Amino acid sequence: MEEKEIFLSAHTMKILAKRELLSSLYGWGLYIAIFISFLVSSFILKNFLQGIRENNIFISSYPLNFPLFTSVVIISLYLVIVSAISISREREQGTLEVLFYGPVSSFSFLMGKYITDMLLYFIILGFFAIYFLGVSLLTNLGFTIALVKAFVVSIFLASCVISFGLFISSLTGKVRSSIVWLIGILLAFLGIWFLQNIFLRIPSEALSSWMRYLQKTIGIIYHFVNWVSPFSYLSRGMESIWLGSMKPFLLNILYSVLYTVILLALSVHILRTKGVRA
Amino acid sequence: MKKSILKIIISILALIFISTQVFAQEKKEEEGVSINLAPLRQEQLVYSLNVFDGKGWSGGFVPKTENTIYLIADKKSAICAKKTLVYFWPITARYMAAWRTLNEDIEGTLEVIKDEKVIKKLQKEDTVLCYPEGYWGEKNVLYKGEEARNWYNKYKDAEKKYYDELKKYYDARMEYRKKLEKFFEEVKKRREAGEKGPLNIEIPKEPEPPRAPDFYVTEPKKYYVLNLPAGRYKIRVRAGDGTIVEGSEKDVLVFTARRRGGVGYEIIPGNRWTQKEECNDPAQTIYAAGKNVLYFRPYSQDEYNELYHNKLLDPQNEGRIENWKWVHTEPIKNVYLTLFGREKILDRIEEKPYKVKQIPGPELGYNIVEFKEEYPGEKPTFTGYQLILSENLREKSYKIYLQSKEKNNENLSGSEREIRIIKKENANFLYYLSLFPLAVGGVVFAIRRRKIEK
Repeated sequence: MEEKEIFLSAHTMKILAKRELLSSLYGWGLYIAIFISFLVSSFILKNFLQGIRENNIFISSYPLNFPLFTSVVIISLYLVIVSAISISREREQGTLEVLFYGPVSSFSFLMGKYITDMLLYFIILGFFAIYFLGVSLLTNLGFTIALVKAFVVSIFLASCVISFGLFISSLTGKVRSSIVWLIGILLAFLGIWFLQNIFLRIPSEALSSWMRYLQKTIGIIYHFVNWVSPFSYLSRGMESIWLGSMKPFLLNILYSVLYTVILLALSVHILRTKGVRA
Repeated sequence: MKKSILKIIISILALIFISTQVFAQEKKEEEGVSINLAPLRQEQLVYSLNVFDGKGWSGGFVPKTENTIYLIADKKSAICAKKTLVYFWPITARYMAAWRTLNEDIEGTLEVIKDEKVIKKLQKEDTVLCYPEGYWGEKNVLYKGEEARNWYNKYKDAEKKYYDELKKYYDARMEYRKKLEKFFEEVKKRREAGEKGPLNIEIPKEPEPPRAPDFYVTEPKKYYVLNLPAGRYKIRVRAGDGTIVEGSEKDVLVFTARRRGGVGYEIIPGNRWTQKEECNDPAQTIYAAGKNVLYFRPYSQDEYNELYHNKLLDPQNEGRIENWKWVHTEPIKNVYLTLFGREKILDRIEEKPYKVKQIPGPELGYNIVEFKEEYPGEKPTFTGYQLILSENLREKSYKIYLQSKEKNNENLSGSEREIRIIKKENANFLYYLSLFPLAVGGVVFAIRRRKIEK
């Protein structure tokens, strides 16, 4: 009986994932999102090259990693928002209720969404590889092992962001509130992460007193959201690549997997207890 | 409705909590500012330091406002509790010690506490700082106890010997002058007498001045010498009567390097020699565009936490616990800088001295030329390894590393860096590259449409 249930659940996940995946691949949204992410990366890279042009020399560790992660963040936001919309819309329109009368469970439904997003991310990673290979050939910035490692880290960042998105969607009922909460929280996390990284690069002596106050405030907030924000996993992953040590690299992967599992389990639990009605 | 109220309350509580944290931290740091804005000198118990900073031993003091002393693990560091007058200097926003007005040692036993247990009881010992390259040299070493006294005596003996030799030299010089005068008189006399050709008079030999001691040792001072493994400790001074000296309790944070024995480079670009670049991390790549001349200066280095190391240098310094910094420990000598490319060694560069010469005339500009002493005592602007990046470099990537002259050209671990020659002219094509997802989307859309039509 148990075996039959697992098979049924896996089959449902497969069908749901296939349906969602094809729907995304046949639409224009995905390609436009990738295009926007590449456009932003190109802008960053052009400025980087401009800096070299003016100074004749530029010393940096992995200049392609920052544009890559900018692209990853844009794409993750796209994936998570699309996923959240689809959950909330299905709930609002009652499709979810109809599905749940059938062999679809909270687990198979959410896992279907998660698998779809991850499969989409793997396809997008192919686009990333082609784009960054092109960048490397055009500019000679180097398609290094570190960039390949960054690709691996990005998979786990995407996993964290997607599971976080599913968690927020399971908490909220309507499309609008789902989107507002998701964008609000993710942008806040992103803003904190971004500001913290900016402040870390400015010498403390160069900061005015109010900037130092802001830096400390951001530092304290960052300390509290460190394990909650999916973008912190990106920072840790980046640092592990920079250190060139495998231990922190693998540990970060383990933490990301744990983060994903915990959030997915919580999402399933919330969907079960809250029910599928809007 | 209830949920919304709950969310608002949680948000407000979170904001209050964060604000109190920030204010508490600010208050802790600026506690003394309000007191010390008044130009008053306040008697305080402070700790005077001579701590190992990764490179050598440097001095400093810990005012009352700083609760923690930062030390490097497994290295000797000398500390001493003193009474002095402390005042706030608004220009540098720092507390200063008026040592000349009051400098009173606090006597007693220094207790080191770990996990609420006293693990060490230290008495003051003689300590000296030895400068093996002389008073102006960058290197110094801390010695304690018998060794310190021996070094000091050795220096004193060398100094005495020097002064004795100097006295002898002055005497010899006076003798020399007299002989020289006699020599000129003799020459004059014989020339006036009509003597021609070589006179065969012995020319007096100028005496050689003695060489001053090539090292310097400070006078022995009584300090507690700490040498602790990494960890958090507390220290306090227990007076002779068994009581704890008020204000002597401090936290001690003993830290270690995250990475050790690295090789860092200071790079002086030929086109702007005053703006030096640093390439310290092995992960860093040197991106170059076009023609340039780079001068490399290699250093041994260790990587420390920025906050801890800054606080070690001066307990009143700022820093971020999240940041790490490479500390250059000493210049690397007796090596070649090797340029590798096209699967072979392209050049093995020797260290040379260079001089920056301003272009004569009103125009701005300079030339960096190999140093040749033009007048006695002239010194080079810098020494380094010159790497010429010409426009003809065809390869995309080159490597540089150091090879030891002493160890049969063995490569120095951690010294490898990549130099990539950037194709800056292609920067605009990057935008065209961004279009390819749209092209793929168009193809998918067309295929899908054809399928539906069929």
